[in-house]
Amino acid sequence: MPMNAILLVLYAVACVAYAVQFTRRTFSTSRVATVLLVLAAFVHTFVIGMETMRAGHVPFSTATSFISTFVWLLALAYLYVELTTSERAMGVFILPLLVALQAIPAASPMMEPRSALLESPWFGVHVSSLLFAYASFALAAVLGITYVLQFKEIKAKQLGFFYARLPSLNVLDEMNLRAVKIGWLFLTVGLITGGIWASQLQPSGDPRVTAMSLGDPKIFVAVLCWAVYSFELYAQRAIGWRGRRAAWLSAVGFGIVLLNFVPVSYFFTTSHNF
Amino acid sequence: MHLLLVGVSHRTAPVELRERLDFSARGVDRALSALVNALTHHEATIISTCNRVELYVGCDETEATRTAIQQFLSDFHGIPADQLGPHLYTKVGQDAVAHLFRVASGLDSLVMGEPQVLGQVKDAFNLASQMGCTGPLLNKLFHSAFAAGKRVRSETALAEGAVSVSYAAVALARKIFGNLKGRTVMVVGAGEMGKLTAIHMQSQGIGRLLITSRTAAHAATLADSIGGTAMPWESLTTALAEADILITATGATAPIISRAVVAQTMKARRQRPLFIIDIAVPRDVDASAGDLEQVFLYNIDDLQAVVQENISRRGTVASDAEKIVSQEVGRFLGWLNSRGAVPTVVALRQRFESIRQSELRRLEPKLASLPPEARARVDEVTRLIVEKLLIDPTERLKSISDADTVAAYSDALNRLFSLTAEDANEESTLTSAGPTRSAKNPVS
Repeated sequence: MPMNAILLVLYAVACVAYAVQFTRRTFSTSRVATVLLVLAAFVHTFVIGMETMRAGHVPFSTATSFISTFVWLLALAYLYVELTTSERAMGVFILPLLVALQAIPAASPMMEPRSALLESPWFGVHVSSLLFAYASFALAAVLGITYVLQFKEIKAKQLGFFYARLPSLNVLDEMNLRAVKIGWLFLTVGLITGGIWASQLQPSGDPRVTAMSLGDPKIFVAVLCWAVYSFELYAQRAIGWRGRRAAWLSAVGFGIVLLNFVPVSYFFTTSHNF
Repeated sequence: MHLLLVGVSHRTAPVELRERLDFSARGVDRALSALVNALTHHEATIISTCNRVELYVGCDETEATRTAIQQFLSDFHGIPADQLGPHLYTKVGQDAVAHLFRVASGLDSLVMGEPQVLGQVKDAFNLASQMGCTGPLLNKLFHSAFAAGKRVRSETALAEGAVSVSYAAVALARKIFGNLKGRTVMVVGAGEMGKLTAIHMQSQGIGRLLITSRTAAHAATLADSIGGTAMPWESLTTALAEADILITATGATAPIISRAVVAQTMKARRQRPLFIIDIAVPRDVDASAGDLEQVFLYNIDDLQAVVQENISRRGTVASDAEKIVSQEVGRFLGWLNSRGAVPTVVALRQRFESIRQSELRRLEPKLASLPPEARARVDEVTRLIVEKLLIDPTERLKSISDADTVAAYSDALNRLFSLTAEDANEESTLTSAGPTRSAKNPVS
């Protein structure tokens, strides 16, 4: 069985464990869930390490390997949040995302090509910045969704399932904004370095290079994301759009990120299909 | 003497019937004297609240007394017996004890864990006691019930979470703001409810407590007593912008804070969340203010609903409380056991008396020649001797409270004096399905 399929199984098992701990909320179920996720992330680290050794660089050059690396990074980011805040409630929302995304590399082989175009150091900074940005946005989206779920219960005065399990609205709101700020910084760096990298490429006969413009769907959607998150940060400061509105923007922003991840990467872009 | 309970509660009777049965309208004292007249030589206490009417009676004949009490209830309130009957419950002995303890602990209350009921049970008992309607059985019973109620309140979270609307308000505030440290709380109205909620908030380490009231002196007094800052009533709307949590509890007959004021406040607060706890009846804050983004408005009914929700989730707390109640019931039954010395005492006296009688009979031929005064004298002297022999053992036996010791002493006496069960009278029987009488356990 290819390593990515094994990882998919490991994440799926951890996902079930998080669902169980979310409903039961006992000490032992929480422990089991965390241990399973740590195990999955550990094996994933090993897989990425092997791939890096084989290809000579971190596997993020193709859309598929980029997703696998993203899953790994998001799992680590989530584990960091869980271990520093002792809040496990987010796990039940993050894990399904990990499983769904990991299904892509599990279904298709992860071939790392060595295109001459990708030799530039700007490319490395560009891709790794975006990896960090998207992982932050994924966390922000989950924080936003949980904020909205709990906000609705408190507003409707129907204190139920989520009310009993999630951290306070204020904590969710602040963590959301922090995640968006970090994500926005990385996204900005990623876009700028991407621009520099593209401008340094020699105009060759490669159609991918000539397609490097705002008109390309992948680039356009990435810039759109930047606009959404910029607006979220601006609105929060300037017109007091915090709480539910910020939460919605985080969710919408990450929806666009996902759009860029799968359909755009695989079917529409003409510049980023390495 | 048996303990008998006849009553109705919110569990068995609709509010219309409970209202008609409520004694407080016509005076519980009158009802009590009427009841005691109806049943001669009994101990009695009446608990009458809006949720329950319960008559606790110490009697010898449970079935007859039950019928008499039902008759009394139907006569006193003018309710036909057939209408009343289906809603009445009857409990005897141990079951009645357990029921009273559960009532006193708030376990049987409509809002489980509410604290008022303990006070109501105390008032009921005090009245009966002042009127001389209680005896050793009910005295001990009710004092044990108070002890059970106190233990449940201090050792479980039943009261803490269930009672209070103010507790629910704090829990909600924590769900909205997370940590309450450094938050500003504003109280409008200097009444008891506002004060209670403010004190709860203070225990969470809030930053500032602002207090305002239409009567400036009231605000100042409250601010002094719980440590806050009194604000002039006129600055209410400006001060609002600083508050994260607003508690309104005035006696105003119309809303004093409109939606527009809240909307303006939210602008001044740059949309930082505002939690409004409107515990005033009628309400102080325009209900539509709750539609504003980042405004969380809860009125007293909303909070009460939250409280109910908490309770239904507090299954384990309730079972902890039940455990305490059954411990206390056990302790009370232990006391009853110590009263188990009584049958032994009676048996002992009867034994001595029968010996005296048989000796007198044996000497009858010899005494027959004596003049009547001398014969009376002999009778008197023998009676006094028996009396004096028994006085110390009787007192000592009755003063032992530990059931095991009582059992050991009783056992020894039974063996030493060959007392048999038949010697003793049917004495105190409280346990409904009481254990069978034995030499080891003369309590029955």
